[in-house]
Amino acid sequence: MPVKAYNPRWAHHQAMWAAANSWQKRRLLTEPQLAAVRAAYPLDYYRPNIFLRVTLFLFTGIGTLAGSGFLGLFLYEGLFHNSSSQEELLLVATAALSAAGCLFILEASIRSSRLYHSGVDNALLYATLGWLLFLALYVATKNEPDIYYGGFLLFSPHITVALLLILALLLAATIRYADRVVAAAAYFTYLLFLANCCLQLPGGRLLLPFVLMLASGGAYLLVRRLTHRPDYLYYKPCLTLLKALALVTFYLGGNYWVVREGNALLSDALASSQIPFAWVFYVFTATVPVVYVVVGLRRFDRIWLWVGLLIVGFSFFTLRYYRSLLPPEVAATLAGSVLVAAMLWVARYLRTPRHGLTAAPDGEEDNQKFNLESLIVAQTATVPQPVAPGFQFGGGSSGGGGADGSF
Amino acid sequence: MCSDQLLDELQAQGLVTPPQTEAIRHDEHTRPFSIHYEVRTLLYLGITLLAGGLGALIYQHIDEIGHGVLITVMALLMAACFGYAARHRVPFSWGKAPRAGFLPDYVLLLGCLLFLSLEGYVQYQYGVFGSRYGLAVFLPAALFFWLAYLFDHRGVLSMAVTALASWVGVSVAPLSAFTDNNFRSLSGSAIALGLVLVAVGLVAEFQNWKRHFSFTYISLGANLTLLAATAALLNFYPNTWPSAFEAGVLILVLSGYLVWYARRTHSYLFLLMGVVYGYIVLTYLFLQLVDASTFEATAFLVMLYFSLSALGVVLLFVNIKKILGLYHAR
Repeated sequence: MPVKAYNPRWAHHQAMWAAANSWQKRRLLTEPQLAAVRAAYPLDYYRPNIFLRVTLFLFTGIGTLAGSGFLGLFLYEGLFHNSSSQEELLLVATAALSAAGCLFILEASIRSSRLYHSGVDNALLYATLGWLLFLALYVATKNEPDIYYGGFLLFSPHITVALLLILALLLAATIRYADRVVAAAAYFTYLLFLANCCLQLPGGRLLLPFVLMLASGGAYLLVRRLTHRPDYLYYKPCLTLLKALALVTFYLGGNYWVVREGNALLSDALASSQIPFAWVFYVFTATVPVVYVVVGLRRFDRIWLWVGLLIVGFSFFTLRYYRSLLPPEVAATLAGSVLVAAMLWVARYLRTPRHGLTAAPDGEEDNQKFNLESLIVAQTATVPQPVAPGFQFGGGSSGGGGADGSF
Repeated sequence: MCSDQLLDELQAQGLVTPPQTEAIRHDEHTRPFSIHYEVRTLLYLGITLLAGGLGALIYQHIDEIGHGVLITVMALLMAACFGYAARHRVPFSWGKAPRAGFLPDYVLLLGCLLFLSLEGYVQYQYGVFGSRYGLAVFLPAALFFWLAYLFDHRGVLSMAVTALASWVGVSVAPLSAFTDNNFRSLSGSAIALGLVLVAVGLVAEFQNWKRHFSFTYISLGANLTLLAATAALLNFYPNTWPSAFEAGVLILVLSGYLVWYARRTHSYLFLLMGVVYGYIVLTYLFLQLVDASTFEATAFLVMLYFSLSALGVVLLFVNIKKILGLYHAR
């Protein structure tokens, strides 16, 4: 049995189509050439439009859940009806059989219908892994003394083995199916495992932020090394997501709010208090977003840029959480004015490309994006309306919950 | 670089000529990095922050700041926005107008948001519309419809639809199912408004009057009708239109229509909506009809129904190509 569940050619062909399409849009390839490329690299797998994938995912999820429920009922009626002491056994049997069933259907449907991350196979994979994780946790924590359930589970040496088991399972699944969600879950399990090990050491709580930052940095370097592998295209979605996650967790590991509130959570304190080496985290919170944005713009890396822009927002949140400098409506007005003015300036400044950057769209503007944008406007573009006495909208609300002053 | 490897492969197969390869390679390495969507996103974020902040600011500091000053500043800002947008306007046509860059679009959006703040404030402070509250809500709807067609702007169009809906008394925000939405007394008018919007979208589509507006009309309208009809189906409000039966039939018909329309126009969001709402009605119908004597039998039937129906839907979609023979995934 090959290691990869899907045909690696599919990823290759997909990448070729995307590249050829963009070259043709920029008039670098002729229409007949594009047709020739498409004929030479056929997309002979099933991966429909995003909305169809969502539909398929929903219904496969409903189906597998109901199937497991049916199985459980069947086992209960047939085997365990008279012995009430064996409820745990019933659960384990249902989980094991469901996992096996989902896995079998997953493999069979990939082979017969040539599914390729089509929603159906995603749902079946998550169902399989969900049941397997349940079994792993059940086995690993079965003999655990009850006292640990009272305390914070992250300190417990009993979950170390369970985390390792889960990590191995998720890594194996990622290597075989190259699924993004599973890869992300594996990454968070890896961080949890390190945190769990670290917290069992004396003084581990002090070290934890630095351990997480180091672990994120290590993961980033590993991901970068993996992109040079020949089978990079098969894992490209996973590696892209992991790169973004590594950047995010590196920042969160050094973020003042996360460290301070996390510290309070771990020491069961009601209110968070000042942390040791606070200035280190002030510096991280302030500089990391700037560094990300600058690196993104200088090295033309969209992931660094997007993560940087997102965490700029989080750094402002951190600042406002402890020092509320301005009332929220003034802050929103000011931030809005600054953003609008800055973006107007950027758009004008980059009308002709400078520093290798441009504000013009890369290729044709997408009609679909305009459509989705109009839905976003319908959801968010509302202005707080006054409710004067007797002013009635006929009982309705005046719009969505978008701009309600919480910015 | 990945694109280099793909290019080498194409050249080795003789699908591109060597000079072309060089041209593409040169383009890949020297083409400027586009931050178009980043700038747009941040601009939109800034606009909503600014309009929301200004709106909240007015009502919270209504007694501290001079009314005249505030109104003047906001009116000037609004006039500047509309003026800027008008200066960059392309001539009207019933087709899709070519864009004069993305800045005028967002400036127009900001102007519309400022108009809403300003109008609400003027009504609150001076009561210019008196007690004709309907007019106060209808005016922005009319203005925004006019602006949307004049400037060929889908964002302003959805603001117009939102304003029209709040004139009727309901919310058309796509996620309003998860927030408060009062369908109890208004399900009839919500359904009617939604159907009107769908009809307008259809006319736009088939008469080619701003065909690209039809997505906004149909998505907002169909979602509103389906939500309101589902609410009417699941809750029994006596003596209201529609009854549960009528609502169920309406949902099934509209869902079927959406599935047909989605396949016609390749807008698969409509397919998702049609299938999910249709499934809700059929499931509801099944749960009403199932009448087993014992708890176990009921549970069996329900589980069987869910697993088999879900399997049926999935198989239908995966094999739709074979079934209908004219299916395009993209």
